[in-house]
Amino acid sequence: MALFERAFERRELKDPAVLKFIFSDTALAPLWALARMYLGYQWLLAGSHKVWGSDRWIAVSGPDGLALKGFWERATAIPEQGRPPIVYDWYRDFLTFMIDHEWYTWFSWIIALGEVAAGIALIVGAFTGLAALGGAFMNFNFMLAGTASTNPVLFVIAVLVAFGWKVSGWIGVDRWLLPALGTPWQPGRVFGRVRAGAPPAARGFKPGPTPA
Amino acid sequence: MSKLVALVIGIAAWAGVATVASLIVFNIGDKNQVFMFLPILAAVVAAWGIGELVTERALVEHEEGL
Repeated sequence: MALFERAFERRELKDPAVLKFIFSDTALAPLWALARMYLGYQWLLAGSHKVWGSDRWIAVSGPDGLALKGFWERATAIPEQGRPPIVYDWYRDFLTFMIDHEWYTWFSWIIALGEVAAGIALIVGAFTGLAALGGAFMNFNFMLAGTASTNPVLFVIAVLVAFGWKVSGWIGVDRWLLPALGTPWQPGRVFGRVRAGAPPAARGFKPGPTPA
Repeated sequence: MSKLVALVIGIAAWAGVATVASLIVFNIGDKNQVFMFLPILAAVVAAWGIGELVTERALVEHEEGL
């Protein structure tokens, strides 16, 4: 029983200084901004092909999302020889369910507009952490569907940007957006409940020298 | 009033970044990714500069007055 209590006892394990420097110090904000912008640019580029041009996924004559349907059908196909693109049966069943119910007609809108929105949000640095997480989720799904392409690299960058959400948007809209809106655990000015003792970085001030 | 103007200028600067990025990506395509990325980078740097020189000062004064 004591062993069980020990397994769940509350104890905060400190992060090493180097991790705090990488993920929380605004000195690295320019590097995070570059990573964030590259990611956003790639998403905007990918989304632009889906909402604009002759090969677009949405707002076409006829049912929307036929390109997405083709992608899903290729992903769910099981070849007579060799391995299928999708490894997990539950994911193949999920895509098959969406094909059978013609979900591609509206799901294509979500993907196309989601990629454009994530791209713009990352480029301007607004809700950077959420945008990066959304991008990582899309990369994750493309990889589950058997598409490698640039997804592994973009996924890693997105996860890193999400981890560095406090500084990734420092050179961007988040610099004012985060102090104004706050977070679920620390509401900002708009919600009128900024704590007087809140850390300076959370309130939009430039942090002073780190105490020894 | 000046704080509101500073805030609007800051918002307009970053809205300009979104507009520039969208116009470039949607109109030029992906013919040269480096060539396309540079104007977006320049727009971000310009918006950041405007934010530093105009909006940040106004908002920090506002914060300190709380």
